[in-house]
Amino acid sequence: MRYICTCCGYVYDPAKGDAMNNVAVGVEFADLPEGWVCPLCYATQDKFDPLD
Amino acid sequence: MKASVASLYQAVELNQDIPPLLIGERCNPNGSKAFRDALLAEDWEGCLTLGLDQEARGAQVLDLCVAYAGRDELQDMTTLVKLFSNSCKLPLMLDSTSPETLAAILPLYPGRAIINSINLEDGGANLDKICQLAKKYGAAVVALTITEEGMALTAEKKLAVAKQIYQLAVAKHGLRPQDILFDLLTFTVGSGDETMRDAALQTLEAIKLVTQQLPGVGFTLGVSNISFGLRPAARKVLNSVFLHEAVALGLNTAIVDAAKVLPYASISDVDREKCLDLLYNRRDSALMDFIEHFEQAVEKDDQTSAEDLRVEEQLRQKVLQGNKEGLEDLLSELRGRWKPLDIVNNLLVPAMREVGDLFGRGELLLPFVLQSAEVMKQSVALLEPYMEKLADEGRTSILLATVAGDVHDIGKNLVDIILTNNGYKVHNIGIKVPAETIIAKAKELRVDVVGLSGLLVKSALLMKDNMAQFQAAGLTQPVLLGGAALTEKFVAQDCVPNYQQPVVYCADAFAGLKAIREFEAGKLAATTWEASTLVANRPGPQQEVLERSQEPPEVPFLGRRMVEKIDPEVLFDYLNNAALFRGRWGYRRGKLSKAEYDQLTAETVIPLFQRLKEQALAEGWLQPKVVYGYFDCVSEAENLLVADSGCTKVFSFPRQSTAPGLCIADYFRTAEEGGDKVSFFVVTIGAALAEKTKELYESDSYHDYLMLHGLGVELTDALAEYWHELMRIEMGLQKKQSTDIQAYVAQGYRGSRYGFGYPSCPDLEAHEPLFELLKPEEIGVGLTESFEMVPEMSTSAIVVHHPQAKYFAV
Repeated sequence: MRYICTCCGYVYDPAKGDAMNNVAVGVEFADLPEGWVCPLCYATQDKFDPLD
Repeated sequence: MKASVASLYQAVELNQDIPPLLIGERCNPNGSKAFRDALLAEDWEGCLTLGLDQEARGAQVLDLCVAYAGRDELQDMTTLVKLFSNSCKLPLMLDSTSPETLAAILPLYPGRAIINSINLEDGGANLDKICQLAKKYGAAVVALTITEEGMALTAEKKLAVAKQIYQLAVAKHGLRPQDILFDLLTFTVGSGDETMRDAALQTLEAIKLVTQQLPGVGFTLGVSNISFGLRPAARKVLNSVFLHEAVALGLNTAIVDAAKVLPYASISDVDREKCLDLLYNRRDSALMDFIEHFEQAVEKDDQTSAEDLRVEEQLRQKVLQGNKEGLEDLLSELRGRWKPLDIVNNLLVPAMREVGDLFGRGELLLPFVLQSAEVMKQSVALLEPYMEKLADEGRTSILLATVAGDVHDIGKNLVDIILTNNGYKVHNIGIKVPAETIIAKAKELRVDVVGLSGLLVKSALLMKDNMAQFQAAGLTQPVLLGGAALTEKFVAQDCVPNYQQPVVYCADAFAGLKAIREFEAGKLAATTWEASTLVANRPGPQQEVLERSQEPPEVPFLGRRMVEKIDPEVLFDYLNNAALFRGRWGYRRGKLSKAEYDQLTAETVIPLFQRLKEQALAEGWLQPKVVYGYFDCVSEAENLLVADSGCTKVFSFPRQSTAPGLCIADYFRTAEEGGDKVSFFVVTIGAALAEKTKELYESDSYHDYLMLHGLGVELTDALAEYWHELMRIEMGLQKKQSTDIQAYVAQGYRGSRYGFGYPSCPDLEAHEPLFELLKPEEIGVGLTESFEMVPEMSTSAIVVHHPQAKYFAV
């Protein structure tokens, strides 16, 4: 499932992963490393809303 | 050891911090018609819905009973226990007196249940069997004081039977005293039966006696029996008062319709007296007086319309729903029953507390909280002519300030709104307040707590210094800190050690409210932070080698230009809707399903957005202006040397201390490489919108204040996005305007723009050479002494054309 950053609108999509944070394609939002933050605005994971 | 019961999902203590534990009574065909209908139709989902509904209304354990003439109890119970134990978070109370049924369902239950119940009606045969089962499966047990002679009516008889059962359950079967919940039985005081006039007294007295003589045991009670035969609205009040009395004597659990328990504080003195007269049998006419008093109160079960609700409940609903309609009439009616100050303290403040709790659980969104606060504020304003000003004495008082050099006040004002409307005395002394002033005001006003706010990175550093100054000046108040750049770690490591009183990090206004409550309870403690293995990521490009052969783009002109005629409507096309709706406005998805969120968006958010957009355009609140320019430049290590009509302005950028060691200057070519082109802009939407938001705040229009402020901030960013696009088109980096703003959010364009004061160049001092280059004063943008731009709704950036340039943090 995709998640959206409520601070900047960045969308975390498991199908794309997150190269800026060295996250491989296929990683679900719930499985991101604990210290993972929004690659655009550095918001923490609790600032994300489920999108789908 | 604490006595708890559990479902598959959670454990619940029998002795709650705030007793009683509420046991939902409605999954019972003999008490609820809806449940009976569902059971008889074998509509199992319908049965479950009634359980979940009670959970939503505050029940903490669910009683489940299926014994009904013509039904097979064992079979029905088996079906429903399986369904409930998987689908319902609450622990179950298995309501059956049949050892066979219990023997079949206890092994199925994946938690620690309560058995309801044992008694001595048959002399003790079933009791023995059920106690053995309770021991085997570790269940708690409800024990009714019934013997072969029948139900115990007097306190002495209730005590005697309880002792008898205790002897068997504890001494013979080895159950723990705390796992026995005595139901000492209660009977209606509403029938007019002369022999039952003291039924409530007997039960209350029995609770007292059993507590003394069988220490450690628990209790439960079918509270609503007390009012059987009376009118529904009156029953609700009487049940709640009786429950309150019983809890005061030691009742730790109660079998109730959780939705119908009224907070004791919300019951008026007059209502309470009528109930107590009846319960304690204080005079012969108590029952008649009670009936007469509640004559007017009408209530249709479950589908009460506003007129039928008690006025106290109506006020609570107004606050919870943020509904100001008819508030004046309602309050004048309430003034006939309550002292104005009691309306504030006993009705309004608890309702706001409920609002805060709902927000905390993610069940109420911020915009609705602000509407509730508006109802609170207006109610107090309507009551004030009839009371002494809210006495300041005895109320906890808080000083609030945004720290020196920082003009941001939305965060501080939200804290003000939430605290004021929870009954606290707030002294909000504004923005850019130096430590000396804060110290002087804290001493002069003798406040209990000081709260500091600030958005900037610099403000966080300043708070650290302020703590040392407060200490040196001998302040004695705890300090609450809030602001975007603060973290728990920073507060714990850098601020706490500088000040002897507790220094507490507050992530939002409700954390502030929580801290004030902890202060009142004498439990406020300084923020702590433990170094964990958790390392926050530092996102950014992972590559280290920058392409050096990148040719500078063609620029349309050299030097600066000012643009004062921009159609404000264009900005709306560049708005980041997610950031506005979810972030600034607080319309988070939270616990909503996608469909519910879509509905909220369509029915509430979009109409609000349209209203504000039309208003802002019609009233001329938006005055977008831009000053921007293109310049020759060369990079020299961390510096960018920018040529401007013969002069050179130097911008110094910080470099990442760890790999890949990025620095904004690196994206530009050196003199040896042939030099480069750089561009900058400063944009503003003007001062009118800020003025308007200030007016809204001052007129207590909290909701619109937050909404309009958020819209302004995002429109400022939209203007920056729009202008950055235009500059890329001017430089030939992009052919035409995009229609996909979502792609822009993720930097889906060539190059990057870096705002001063943001993670790639946190230092606001770069505004000094920037202002010399662009002269934004001519579009009405100035700098404060700490290099922050005013008006607040302005933003600046350096525009970098290098394709590898993306956001990073130093």
